[in-house]
Amino acid sequence: MPALESAFEFLFKYPRSVFEAGDLGIWGSGSGSLLLPAVVVLTAGALSAWSYARLGARRVLRGRDVALLGGLRALALALLAVSLLDPTLRVLTVAPQQTFVGVLIDDSASLTIRDDDGRARAAFAQERLLDPAGDVRRALEQKFKVRFFRFSDVARRIQGETLAFSGARTNLAAALRTVREELADVPTSGLVLVTDGADNVAGPLSETLLDLRTRQLPVFPVGLGRERFDRDIEIARVEVPAAVLQGSSVVASLSIKAAGAGRGPLNLTVEDSSRVLSAQEVPVTAADSSTVRISIRADEPGPRLLRFKVAPIAGEQVAENNQFDVALDVIGGREKILYFEGAARFEAKFLRRAVQDDRNLQVVTLERTAENKFLRLAVDGAEELAAGFPRTREELFSYRGLVLGGVEASFFSVDQIRMLSDFVSQRGGGLLMLGSDKTFGEGGYAGTAVAEALPVALDAKDAIDSAPADATRAKDERFQWLKVSVTPLGASQPVTQLAANESDNEARFKALPPLSSVNRVTRIKPGASALLAGNSVGDSPAEDRVVLAFHRYGRGRAFAFPVQDSWRWQMHADVSVDDASHETFWRQMLRQLVNGVSGPVSATLSAGLVEAGSTVAIRADVADETFIRVNDASVTATIQTPSGLVREAALHWTVDKDGEYVGEFRAEERGVHEVKITARRAGAVLGEDVAHVRVDDLQVEFRDAEMRGDLLRRIAAETGGRFYTPDTVSRLAEDLTYSPKTASVVDEKELWDMPALFLGILFALSMEWIYRKFRGLA
Amino acid sequence: MRRARFLALTLAAAAGLAQAADVPAPPEVPYENPPYNGKFTFARVKFRPSEWGPGRYEWGLDLKWNHDYPRADEHLLKILRETTSIDPNDEPAIVAFDEPALFDYPIVYVSEPGYWTLNEKETANLRAYLQKGGFVIFDDFFGRAALNLEERMREVLPEARFIEIPMEHVVWDTFFKIAEPPRGRGGAGGRGSFGRGFGGFGGFGGRGAPTTYQGIFEDNDPTKRLMVIANYNGDIGEFWEWSDTGFAPIDLSNEAYKVGVNYMIYGLTH
Repeated sequence: MPALESAFEFLFKYPRSVFEAGDLGIWGSGSGSLLLPAVVVLTAGALSAWSYARLGARRVLRGRDVALLGGLRALALALLAVSLLDPTLRVLTVAPQQTFVGVLIDDSASLTIRDDDGRARAAFAQERLLDPAGDVRRALEQKFKVRFFRFSDVARRIQGETLAFSGARTNLAAALRTVREELADVPTSGLVLVTDGADNVAGPLSETLLDLRTRQLPVFPVGLGRERFDRDIEIARVEVPAAVLQGSSVVASLSIKAAGAGRGPLNLTVEDSSRVLSAQEVPVTAADSSTVRISIRADEPGPRLLRFKVAPIAGEQVAENNQFDVALDVIGGREKILYFEGAARFEAKFLRRAVQDDRNLQVVTLERTAENKFLRLAVDGAEELAAGFPRTREELFSYRGLVLGGVEASFFSVDQIRMLSDFVSQRGGGLLMLGSDKTFGEGGYAGTAVAEALPVALDAKDAIDSAPADATRAKDERFQWLKVSVTPLGASQPVTQLAANESDNEARFKALPPLSSVNRVTRIKPGASALLAGNSVGDSPAEDRVVLAFHRYGRGRAFAFPVQDSWRWQMHADVSVDDASHETFWRQMLRQLVNGVSGPVSATLSAGLVEAGSTVAIRADVADETFIRVNDASVTATIQTPSGLVREAALHWTVDKDGEYVGEFRAEERGVHEVKITARRAGAVLGEDVAHVRVDDLQVEFRDAEMRGDLLRRIAAETGGRFYTPDTVSRLAEDLTYSPKTASVVDEKELWDMPALFLGILFALSMEWIYRKFRGLA
Repeated sequence: MRRARFLALTLAAAAGLAQAADVPAPPEVPYENPPYNGKFTFARVKFRPSEWGPGRYEWGLDLKWNHDYPRADEHLLKILRETTSIDPNDEPAIVAFDEPALFDYPIVYVSEPGYWTLNEKETANLRAYLQKGGFVIFDDFFGRAALNLEERMREVLPEARFIEIPMEHVVWDTFFKIAEPPRGRGGAGGRGSFGRGFGGFGGFGGRGAPTTYQGIFEDNDPTKRLMVIANYNGDIGEFWEWSDTGFAPIDLSNEAYKVGVNYMIYGLTH
């Protein structure tokens, strides 16, 4: 646009900004001396038009010639008349050295990026503004009293010190507000904002801009750096869950920008305290932003810092944004799951075997070996489940996950059915129903509270009559082989990860033998997600069925796995002895079942990884052992800093939500802070929970490191200022002088000698002459 | 003692091999397995016996592995259906260790392992079967027949050893609380099963060794999973077979069923 601006100034004598700021008028300096010549010119115009018209009437000229020649002549004379009317542009401008200008210079680390032909962005500020001989500075100081400020997360007046360009964050809103307040008592013409626009604190920018606009304080941003990098790889975002059970698969979703890297694969590594967890090539399909998902195992317990790194490409613009850190709390405890199996069948054996050596999962098994006869396995003591399936909420809700297999709905009392549903919706537990001829619709669950909790649609017509002959026949008719495949959503879920990346994972599932199903579960409920699909193989009836689906139900989650023999993934002749697919699937399935399921008291922090000095919000959900929310508890957070200092913060009930308590603390020290929540009522401890937050340097300055022109243009537009780049900044001082609030001196700029007017006259006359020649007229 | 045992073992193995080499393959026998439907199926293993001939067993042949077939199998299935939550196929199945279908049956039953021979494929398959989680029950063998079983198992799992299953083991408490499994003193009283102790129901007070229950545990660790159970000097299948005739003492038949049911529940849960 600079060329257009120059052309404008050449044609109209003054830059556009002057026209925008001023009012157009005639009569020059009020003398009116040129009024007479103007009248003469207009009269001459009228006469020439009349004479052309007469020639036309006498048919010397054709009508079209009359119109064209008359028009051109009239245009030339009209332009001459305008010029003679002495047009002027009346602008208000500031009196020299009477008003102030605040210059805000970005002091953050992103100014060290060398994208100005190999020079750092900061070079502009240093050479042209901070250097007393700098051209921009001198131009400003000729007209204004200039106050220099530096800013990153906060703004400060520069008083002789040199700028380090090392600020870890940029907060434009705070900087503008601070400087506005500093200059509140002096007449200020405007603020010059020298920055790359890398605003990475979610400050109230819109409010600040509105405030500046109402105070008629325009902001003139000078954008440093390039709006588009030629060659740069950036991991823009990585998403992982906040906490997982030790040994879980974690699916990390990465958003990678690759400008100028081609479409080739990139080398991605994931490190945990310099230990490489994963190293692989990941495909990048688009320059703008591609989403890549990889799966890693969280084996080490405790608060972890995972570092995702992509190797730099040749000619990389910013190497610092090739890595991204995320915090992950790996919970090292042992979660208790109750597996109630209503029939002795191999599924129970192999499920138990898959997780028997798992230190983090305790699958307490209650197997009905005959009517009213139960085999208890992996129980904690003689008392546990001694009376069979739990009959009280306290007993059932002490488990975090519940697996139901081979048990019909009629086994349970009405209260127990309600409890099963409440286990998910109120307790927030995980429920998994396995396929068999006694579960789902076949087991008579349609229409019960359990069916409501399940993610799949059940049909009451599917219920199998309990008469053995009927049962056998019905089961055989329902029998269906299913080839299992991962759904697109399943590709992104930890439960269905058998390999480190998507394509290997798909191949692993493809290689597994088919499973069989006797449950006609073909539809998931609206809002539910299918993770594994089953395509019918073999003989009729050919019916595709759901293999794994889940949804959220109240506070918890429910899963459906309506196949009856996942043990074939372990035993089948084609599966090698070393193949751990079955074990991996069940380890992950059961971890997912209890993932995020908490005890009666649970703590949540607003972030897992923050910059030093950040305020961390704490939320605690408090309930009693029957998971009834408690609003009259006394809840405290005990915060242990990395250096071992311990302090307490009280949490208060939010009133809005039952059992929800909030508080906050400021994390200053680098390292891991442990936040332990204790809830008490009437002196008795209701429960405890622990969460972690890590304070570290987040390198946010190098995220989205291209100059954010759109944001800076918006700041200019909303405050009445103008946006510049180092190439166009030379007009800055002049533009500032027309600031509406402080300009007090009237400056009249004559426009009668605008080149545009003379070029216009010249154009009209030469066109008239050329046309006459062309038509052979006198 | 160990040397004598080794010598005896080697001789027995050599004799077995020589016999196997000389003995022609038995004729194929007709049977039809129920199609796979996800239900529990009682599966009996067929093998090429080291000796065989005509006999009063199924198909008029004494193939060793077919002793007590099919009545023992069918009767046990009835008992399982009546007493437990197992919902079995009523028809038993027959499978060989070298068939892929072996892996459809995570519990298999082998009769007369004293005559058991293994080819290479069978050896590899059985090894994989046990490592993946399969459970094998050996029954109906007496005296020196155990040497053949042990030798064959050494080919399958060279490190594995038979260890007597302690009475505290969960297999004695998976369904019935078995304080003491039947241990009739069997005797080598002729080729028929009558005339033996618990192994056959005629001869309590016989001269043979009492029935012992030995197992191969994962990693030879008795706290780990039982992969193989062998009823040394015992024949519980015999009792299953004759339980509806009145030839066998009811108490002993009951005990035999209890042991069978517990084995099945163990194999279905561990």
